Amino acid sequence: MLARFAAVADSRPVEARVDEAQVVAQLVRRCASGDAVAWEEIVQRFHRRIYNICYRFAGSADVAQELTQEVFIKVYRTVGSFDGEKASFNTWVTAVTRNLLVDHFRKSRNDRATESLDAPQGSGEDATPLSERLAAESASPQVHVEQRERREMVHRALQQISPDLREAVILRDLHELDYREIAHVLRVPEGTVKSRINRGRAELARLLQRTYKQAL
Amino acid sequence: MLGEIKPGMQCAEFDALLADAIDHVLSGERRERFEQHKAACASCASLFAEVTSGLEWLSEMEEVAPPPLLVHNILAATSAAGEVAESAPRSSLWLWLRSRMQTIFAPVLTPRFGMSIGMAFFSITLMLNLAQIRIKDLTPHNISHAFYSNQSRLVKYYENMRLVYEFESRVRDLRNQSEENVRERQDRSRERDKSRKQEPEQNQKTEPEGPHHREYSRDENLRWLASLRSGEAVVAMRKIENLATQRGEL
Repeated sequence: MLARFAAVADSRPVEARVDEAQVVAQLVRRCASGDAVAWEEIVQRFHRRIYNICYRFAGSADVAQELTQEVFIKVYRTVGSFDGEKASFNTWVTAVTRNLLVDHFRKSRNDRATESLDAPQGSGEDATPLSERLAAESASPQVHVEQRERREMVHRALQQISPDLREAVILRDLHELDYREIAHVLRVPEGTVKSRINRGRAELARLLQRTYKQAL
Repeated sequence: MLGEIKPGMQCAEFDALLADAIDHVLSGERRERFEQHKAACASCASLFAEVTSGLEWLSEMEEVAPPPLLVHNILAATSAAGEVAESAPRSSLWLWLRSRMQTIFAPVLTPRFGMSIGMAFFSITLMLNLAQIRIKDLTPHNISHAFYSNQSRLVKYYENMRLVYEFESRVRDLRNQSEENVRERQDRSRERDKSRKQEPEQNQKTEPEGPHHREYSRDENLRWLASLRSGEAVVAMRKIENLATQRGEL
């Protein structure tokens, strides 16, 4: 079975998720009226997720940090215009993140150098998985190193696939949004979302298979 | 191959159901037809294998810990943004305009462009210094004055060059000569026609045209002559006379 990314949110029962949504909605209302404590709570709840979306899309920890701040500045300025009837706050924040990522990608298109999968590690060094922050006594260091190398390979391969496919794969396979939410964020039909996700996965597999064979 | 007719499901339908199959939400008859098509179509089976493989690779990814001060930085940035908005509530138009300009001029506001502008400014300044041109000399009046004075100087220099003058005069003479020949032929033919119509042919002696029909540029000649020393002016005049004489003999 697949090890889930951000598993906590989806493994909870439905009632817990509904309660969470209500709590967030209340926090958003308080933010809109200028409550600084509510705003800090919102930042604490969402910053990890937004950072991970930015990191997986942009590929660099520095850029991800900068983009995350921009996302929250934009959310802070426009939280008064959020309409809870159209979508959940989670979906809305994800849409804001995605739009900023697309803008950043377009601006940085000329300056970006295409790196090969075999390029030495650079951007991922600062980003440490949570599992490595905890002392894993059962797994050997060798396993840790191999796992880290594989994750780095996948991370770099994600930067090689087209941005349209990349964002769909990140939102579905790394953040477990459902197809309806992804369609809302990307402003495309659900069928297009599913098609992009599958093409992204297939492209990723081809890239990694080629690299893995070369490494062997 | 897409569109190829296989028993049961088509490749396009397989493609549409692939996501649901991966998510294990396909069931019943559709699931059976999906599996049958996968067994029969090599390309769809390959696609299914690649999609599954990609998903397995992605399952190894884990959440990344953000930098420790990220929350602090976000709160600092948003509180600063809030203070700016509060302190200048009427400057929202200005902020909007500024953000639009930044968006439009973003390709230009890069270090590379700034370096190019700096180098261009440095080069121009250096050239002006070497040419001893001052900034106050760059008014429209001074520029046009400098342009015309340099132009006249250049024209004078060019036209006062002996070689140029002689070459131009030879060319002018040749042109005048050919015009004279054409005129003579026209006159003769006119006379011939006249005599044929009215009188018996008469011998007409056409006189070559005198020098007063030629068009010399008085200014050019004067400038050139003025630039010569007295002895050279006499020599030049004699040459002109010789040329005139030669034409008279033709």
